[in-house]
Amino acid sequence: MIRFVELSKSFGSRTILNKISFEVRTGEILFILGTSGTGKSVLLKNLVGLLRPDSGQIWVDDQEISRYSEEQYLSIRRQIGMVFQQPALFDSLTVFENVAFGLRRLEKLLPDELSKRVIESLQLVHLHQLENRYPNELSYGQQKRVSIARTLALKPKVLLFDEPTTGLDPVTTTTVNELIFELSQKLKTTSIVVSHDMKCAIDIAHRIIVLDKGHIVDQGTPDELKKSEQELVKEFLREVLQTSQSAPTKEKLP
Amino acid sequence: MINQIGLAVIFLNKILSTLFKKGISREDFFEQTLKVTQQSFLTVTMAGFFVGAIMTIQFALQLKEYAALAYLGGLATSGTLRELGPLLIAFMLSGKVGAFTAAELGTMKVTEQMDAIRCLGADPFKEIIAPRFLGIIVASLFLLLFGIGMSVFGGLLMANIFAQINADQYVRHIPTIVKLSSIISGFFKVFWFSFCLGWIATFLGYSTTGGAKGVGLSVVNTAVATMVVIVIVDWITTTLFNSVLSMLAF
Repeated sequence: MIRFVELSKSFGSRTILNKISFEVRTGEILFILGTSGTGKSVLLKNLVGLLRPDSGQIWVDDQEISRYSEEQYLSIRRQIGMVFQQPALFDSLTVFENVAFGLRRLEKLLPDELSKRVIESLQLVHLHQLENRYPNELSYGQQKRVSIARTLALKPKVLLFDEPTTGLDPVTTTTVNELIFELSQKLKTTSIVVSHDMKCAIDIAHRIIVLDKGHIVDQGTPDELKKSEQELVKEFLREVLQTSQSAPTKEKLP
Repeated sequence: MINQIGLAVIFLNKILSTLFKKGISREDFFEQTLKVTQQSFLTVTMAGFFVGAIMTIQFALQLKEYAALAYLGGLATSGTLRELGPLLIAFMLSGKVGAFTAAELGTMKVTEQMDAIRCLGADPFKEIIAPRFLGIIVASLFLLLFGIGMSVFGGLLMANIFAQINADQYVRHIPTIVKLSSIISGFFKVFWFSFCLGWIATFLGYSTTGGAKGVGLSVVNTAVATMVVIVIVDWITTTLFNSVLSMLAF
């Protein structure tokens, strides 16, 4: 279980997160929604130690990790994998080498075992036939999936997705959303997805948290949020409704 | 400005402690050194050759008036070794190697590749920054020395064409005018120019923020900052070197 306790983070005079507290339950898919600049990505980066909070605590199981050193964070980053907003693949490495990057550094595997783990990870994102290609030979959607495979290769217990569908076309967006759901079911991982896509959140999230101006304005299951009286939540829901009316939608994922 | 200098010093400390405490992969270091050398070899060859050629033509014009063309080789080589060779070739490298490194690291930063490296259990300083820093220094050292060699060759060729001085006459007075101190001074400058180039390019590249515009800004800042710093370092090293020499009466 992950717990944020009164977490605050500012950049200069701008407060991004203001005493945020919530918990993430093991095995759930939690969506964090909010408009741009509300601190959603900052929250994830604090969890993996890429940024440090100004105050507050972050608990992973029974460890308070917010004051960990870079070396101590290594063990946390093995448990918590992050998929970035951009694919962040290394241009000079093939898909295989990109996926093997973390494994080579964190696990001492024999070449056969390493190869097996890489292929397994690529199979999970349905890209195992592309391992010899370079990132610039892939579509943006494929690059995103390789980036997910690279994170999966380390077999993390928790997966963080930072705006996983930003910049993708509607078809690829659906594919990535289905993939997040599928991975959660198959691997029994806990997933935290930062997004502004309410439709996707309603489709696959167990719980949703809505952030605005550094505060949590509402949280609950998708059904609970549909009854929310908060203006921002209503606005998000109106957009979903408009999208549903203008285009035929996929049936809700099981 | 003061804040930036402070951050640059902390950054350098981090690179040096990575190099000396953690070490870097030999493969990464050779790859970077080779890459920088290949990228700039032609530029340095051309720049070196023409710097020597220009120096010789200018000296020839002056010396001809005093019927002292016999000293052309010695004077042109000394001037090239001590000052113009290292300086002009370092300028070329700052535009080429410095800008390329800043663009490469800046792009990695804004596309979150540096963050991804950390999340995959690796240290960007060990994997990316330190090998580039050392690679730039070693490659620039080699390129600058090669460029100076080329400028001597360029001078020799121009002396033959424009002043009808053959190779034998050209090199005859080199040992009398080019002292050991000229060579040491040249090497000393070459080392510090390379060091500053590696330091500034990696620092400004790694400090990039703000997308494509930020990368563009880092590239421009690197080209400008390296040239300004190289001129300042040139002045410091020249003053220091001359003071030390006069103290030692070398």
